[in-house]
Amino acid sequence: MNWNFPAGNFTLRLPLVDQDGAALYDLLKEQTRVDHIPRLAMSVEAQALDELRRMAMRFETREAAFWLVEGAYDQQLLARIGIQKINWMLSSAQLQWELSDAADLPVLQEVMPAVLNFCFAELGLHRIEMRLRAGSEPHEALLQQLGFHYEGCLPAQVEYNDSSVDMALYSFLASDRD
Amino acid sequence: MKFTPELSFSGGRVRPLTYDDVDALFELYQQPELPGQRVLENKDNLVRMVDLSVQMAATQRGMMWALEVDDHIIGMVSAFDWQPSLLRTMLRVDGLPQLTLAQRSAALKTCMDFMADKYHLRNFGYQWIEGQNDAIKTMLTDLGFQQSALMRDAWRSGEQSFANVVQFNYVLDKKKPVAGRLGENSDINPGQNLNAADHSNGGDV
Repeated sequence: MNWNFPAGNFTLRLPLVDQDGAALYDLLKEQTRVDHIPRLAMSVEAQALDELRRMAMRFETREAAFWLVEGAYDQQLLARIGIQKINWMLSSAQLQWELSDAADLPVLQEVMPAVLNFCFAELGLHRIEMRLRAGSEPHEALLQQLGFHYEGCLPAQVEYNDSSVDMALYSFLASDRD
Repeated sequence: MKFTPELSFSGGRVRPLTYDDVDALFELYQQPELPGQRVLENKDNLVRMVDLSVQMAATQRGMMWALEVDDHIIGMVSAFDWQPSLLRTMLRVDGLPQLTLAQRSAALKTCMDFMADKYHLRNFGYQWIEGQNDAIKTMLTDLGFQQSALMRDAWRSGEQSFANVVQFNYVLDKKKPVAGRLGENSDINPGQNLNAADHSNGGDV
């Protein structure tokens, strides 16, 4: 199975540990790009290398897959999009994304259908959900514009900065494509 | 080391699983509650489950209790997806048809009270799966749970069929624990060894 695939003017590929550290660090060093997860931004480049290794290990066990989204022509990193907590019994997985400023709705409207099609058609999953800090704009608006359904808000799911964080829950089913 | 306590509730008790329970647990899983859940065919799986119940409690990943009424096992209470650092866990009760909602509720509350008191958990989740007894939802709200999400097709009930899941959460209004080493300051951080801990409910009873 080829895990790298095109999406209109963009390509999605699995990261390479020895090549993508600097670009990933540039993406994840901004707090605003990870606030919705929620998570602290990276503060030194070595964290990107560590993250790349973790991604590779999680992919080896097919627990998660993260793609780097690049422009097809300039090969600039626009986003990291991944699925994790893949549950092969329940045919479900959790989506996560970190978006650069350039990864706006038109970009995601090209990229996300390809990601979802890959998950449903190639991986045989049925349900993709995203959990993100409740009130995370513009992420929640983007999800709704992409066709995700709001399912509710799970209270006190994460302890972050001495606070309990509620997580909004969105989903997209294979049957939502019809 | 003892990790899972025996706890009494009105009309019965919950207690740790033992190898002697395998036959009773096998009977329990001949009448599975969840849509699509298969009837258990192999008792060996239950021996493994008893082992797992000890390992999971010891490593704070989950806890399983046999639910007894009149000295007969008629159900199980399970805590799973236990996240000690996030102060939350998911709960589940499996029961034979004779397990009443009142008994189910009392057992669940007893186990929640223990985990809240002993491990400072403050967020309990319970997933009701479409096809289960509707009255369980009322029982949960009566206990203080609130519906937090309706998860579409989040439970697989067959090869190509799925069921919706209603997630309930019960978030306690209580102070979070103070950081400290395991076992340090037993009143706020008693550690996981019930024999060593100063605990009114979960020690030897």
